[in-house]
Amino acid sequence: MDFFQSQDRARRNTGLLLGLYFAAVISIVLLMNVLVFFLAGFQDSYIAATQQVAYDWQVFVGVSVVVIALVGLGSLYRIHSLSQGGQSVAEMLDGALLVDAQGDIRKRQLLNIVEEMAIASGTPVPPVYLIPDQAINAFAAGYSPGDAVIGITQGALENLNRDQLQGVVAHEFSHILNGDMRLNIRLMGVLYGILLLAVVGRIILFSARGGRSSKRDNGAAWVLAIGLGMFALGYVGKLFGTLIKAAVSRQREFLADASAVQFTRHPAGISGALKRIGGYEQGSILQNPESEEMSHAFFCGGVSFAFGALTSTHPPLAERIKRLEPEWSGDYLSENVPESSASRGKQGVATSSAVGGLVAGFGAQSQHSAGQKIDAEHVLNTMGHPDATQLNLARQLIAAIPDALAVAAREPYSARAVVYLLLLDADAKIRDQQLTHLAAIADGNVMQCLQAMLPLRDQLVPAVRLPLLELTMPALRQLTQGQYVVFKDNIDALIRADQKMSLSEWALQKFVSKHLGEAFDRHQRRAGKKTLSAVREHCSMLLSMLAYSDATSSTEPDVVFAKGRYQLDIEVSLLPRESMSLEALNVSVDALTDLRPLLKPRLLKACITTITADGIATPVEIELVRTVADTLDCPMPPISF
Amino acid sequence: MEISTIVALVVIVVVLVMLVAIYNQLVALKNRYKNAFAQIEVQLKRRYDLIPNLVETAKGYLSHERETLEAVTKARDAAANGLVDAAKDPSNAEAIKKLAGHEQALGSAMAKFNVTMEAYPDLKANQNMMQLSEELTSTENKISFARQAFNDQIMGYNTYRQSFPNILVANFVGHATDAELLEFADSAEIQAAPGIKF
Repeated sequence: MDFFQSQDRARRNTGLLLGLYFAAVISIVLLMNVLVFFLAGFQDSYIAATQQVAYDWQVFVGVSVVVIALVGLGSLYRIHSLSQGGQSVAEMLDGALLVDAQGDIRKRQLLNIVEEMAIASGTPVPPVYLIPDQAINAFAAGYSPGDAVIGITQGALENLNRDQLQGVVAHEFSHILNGDMRLNIRLMGVLYGILLLAVVGRIILFSARGGRSSKRDNGAAWVLAIGLGMFALGYVGKLFGTLIKAAVSRQREFLADASAVQFTRHPAGISGALKRIGGYEQGSILQNPESEEMSHAFFCGGVSFAFGALTSTHPPLAERIKRLEPEWSGDYLSENVPESSASRGKQGVATSSAVGGLVAGFGAQSQHSAGQKIDAEHVLNTMGHPDATQLNLARQLIAAIPDALAVAAREPYSARAVVYLLLLDADAKIRDQQLTHLAAIADGNVMQCLQAMLPLRDQLVPAVRLPLLELTMPALRQLTQGQYVVFKDNIDALIRADQKMSLSEWALQKFVSKHLGEAFDRHQRRAGKKTLSAVREHCSMLLSMLAYSDATSSTEPDVVFAKGRYQLDIEVSLLPRESMSLEALNVSVDALTDLRPLLKPRLLKACITTITADGIATPVEIELVRTVADTLDCPMPPISF
Repeated sequence: MEISTIVALVVIVVVLVMLVAIYNQLVALKNRYKNAFAQIEVQLKRRYDLIPNLVETAKGYLSHERETLEAVTKARDAAANGLVDAAKDPSNAEAIKKLAGHEQALGSAMAKFNVTMEAYPDLKANQNMMQLSEELTSTENKISFARQAFNDQIMGYNTYRQSFPNILVANFVGHATDAELLEFADSAEIQAAPGIKF
C-alpha cells in the first residue's frame, strides 16, 4: 500500500471509529437502563412501593441523559486536552524530554537515530521523550509531523542495541508518516469517555462503602448498587474500547514492522527488538496506569489483556517475529546482545561512504548549481516509505553540516541563530541590510551568536539547508509561547528587510511557519476533500511559478508548463509572468492542502515533471518542491546530495 | 424521574469531569516546567565544567591570588551540588531557592575573579583564557535564555493553580503551593534603574 493510500485510509478509518463509538455508547446506555430497571424492580418489591417506576419513560430518559453526558463530556474533555499534541501524551506518561545526551553514549545514539530517520523521510526531527519505566516499549504521538514526539522507555534504551533501537524508531516513524498518530489520539480521547464510567463507578463505590456501616437504609444500598453497576459497565465499555482499538490498529502494526525493515534494510534489528521483549522478564508492560489508555500507540502491547488475542491492539509477538523472520526457531533473547560485528561493519561502511559523499559533495559543488536529473516516479514511491538509500543519504547530509552548526541547531538558544543564518541572502549587500535590520530588533546575544556563525554560511551546500532546518525543530519547539512570538516576528522582519523574497527564503519560511505553527498555534488540518478542478487556478499558479523558475534561455516557459500540465491532466493555463508573486504562491499552496489525499501524487508528479522539464533540477527547485510537498502533508525524502 | 433530578445528575457529572480536568491540567503543567528545567541543567552543567578549566589556566598567573581562586572553586562546587538537588525535583521550592543562592555566590566570586584578572594583562591575553571566557559568556547567555523559558512555564503553572475554581481543587490534590521561580541576583540588578552618580 502506498503512502497516499494509507493517508486516505487513515481518513476513512475515522468514520469506522465514529460508528463503533456510537454503537458502544448506545449499548452502554441500554445496559445501564436494564440495570436500573432490575434495581428498581428489586427495590420496589423490597419496600413494596409503586410498581410502575420501572416502566417510566422518565427514568429511561434520565438514565440515558446522564450516561451520555458522562461519556460525551469525558471524551470531549480528553480530546481537548490531547489536542495539545504529542507533547501532552508524553507528559502524561511522566516522560522527560531528552534535550542533550550529556556525554551518555546511548542517549546520543538514540538522538542520532531519530535525526537520521527524520531527515531521511523529510519530516522535522521530533523531540524524544524518555519514559521512566523499565519495560521495553516506545510510541509516537502527535497530530502531525510538526508536533510529533517519540517516546522511548528507559528499559528500551538500556536493553536494546543500536540496530534494535533503530528498528523500533523506524517502526514509529512509519506511524508518523502514515497518519496513524492522529487516529491514535482520537481513539484515546473517545475511549477515555467510556472508561470514565468505570472511574466514576469506582468513586461512588468507595464513598458509599465509607458511609455504609452507620446507615442501614436502602438509599445507601441503592447507591452502592448503582456504583457497582457503573463500575461493571465501565469495564464492559473497556471491552468495547479494546475491540475498537483492535479493529483499527492491528493491521497497521504489521505495516509498520514491514516499513521498518524497508527503512533500515535490516530485519534483524526490529525482530531482535521483538525477541528481546519476549525474553525480558518485564516484557513491554508499563507500570503507569495511564498507559492502558494508549496501549494501541505503543510499539508493542503496553498492557496485559485478559481477553488475549481478540482484543489485543498488537498482533502476538511470535507472529510479528515470524513475519519478519520466517525461519525463526522460537527462541527469545534473554539478555542484551551487543551489535553484531557485521552490522557494525555496515555502520563503518556507512560512515566512510558518508565521508566519501562529503568530499564528492564539495568537489561537485559547481555541478550542484547546475542541477541534477531526477525521476518523478521514483521520488513518489519513496514518499512515506523511505528506504535504506534515503537513510544513508540522510547520514551523509548530516555529516556534511559543519559541526558547529549541527551543535548549535540542537539547543533552543542558538537554534534561532541557525534559522536566521539560513535566511540570510547570498548577496552581501542585501545580507548587510538584513543584519542591520535584525540587530535593531533581535536580542543582542543572538546577534553575537549569529555573527560567530557567519563564516560557516559559505560552507553550507544547498542540499543541506533543509536538513539543517529540520534539525533545529526539537530545539525550537522548546521555546515558550512568548519566546516563539518574538522569534517569529524576527523571521518576518528578516525576510522583509530586503524588500523582496527569494524562492529559497520562501521555502524555508514556509517550512518553519508550518511546523512551528503546528506545534505552537495548534493549526490542525483535516484531510482534504477537494478535487483538482475545484482548485484549478491554484494549480495554475503553482505550476506557472515552477515553469518560470525552470525555464532557461533554451527552454520556453510555455514548453515547460505544457509538460507539467500533461501530467496533471486537467485544464490549467500558464499565468503571465507579471502575476507571479510569492504572496499569491503562498495562498495557492495553502489552498492546495485541501486536495483529496489520492489526488496529491498527481499534482506532485506534475510539479516534479515541471522542474525537470529542462532535463535537470536545481537545488533551489528541489527545495521548493519538497516544501510544497511538505505543506501538502506529504513529506518528501531528500532526493540526492 | 423528575426533570430536576436529571438536571442535578447532569450537573454532578459536569462537576466530576471538571475536577478530573483540573487535576490533569495541573499535572501536565507541572511536567512541562520540570522538562523546561532540563534545558537549564544542561547549560549550568556546562558552565560548572568550564570553571575548573578556567581556574587551572589562571593558576599559573595568579599565584598571589590563591584566595580568589579558591573562592571560585568552592562556590562552583557548592552550586554544582545545588544543581543536582534541584534537578532531582524542580518542584521543590527549597532546592530551587538554594540553587539560586549558590548561583549568586558563584556570580560574585566570578565577578571578583574578573576584577582581579584586570590586573594581569598577560593572563587576559592568554589564548586559552580568552577562549574559555568567550565560551563562558555564551553559556551564561544560554542559561539566561533557558531560565526565561523555565520561569515562563512556572508562571503558567502558578497562574493556572491560583485561578478560580482551580485553587479549590489544587489545595487538596498535592498542588497546594506555588512553584518557585529561578531568579538570579543579576536579573534584579539589570531590572533596577541605573543609579545617578555625582
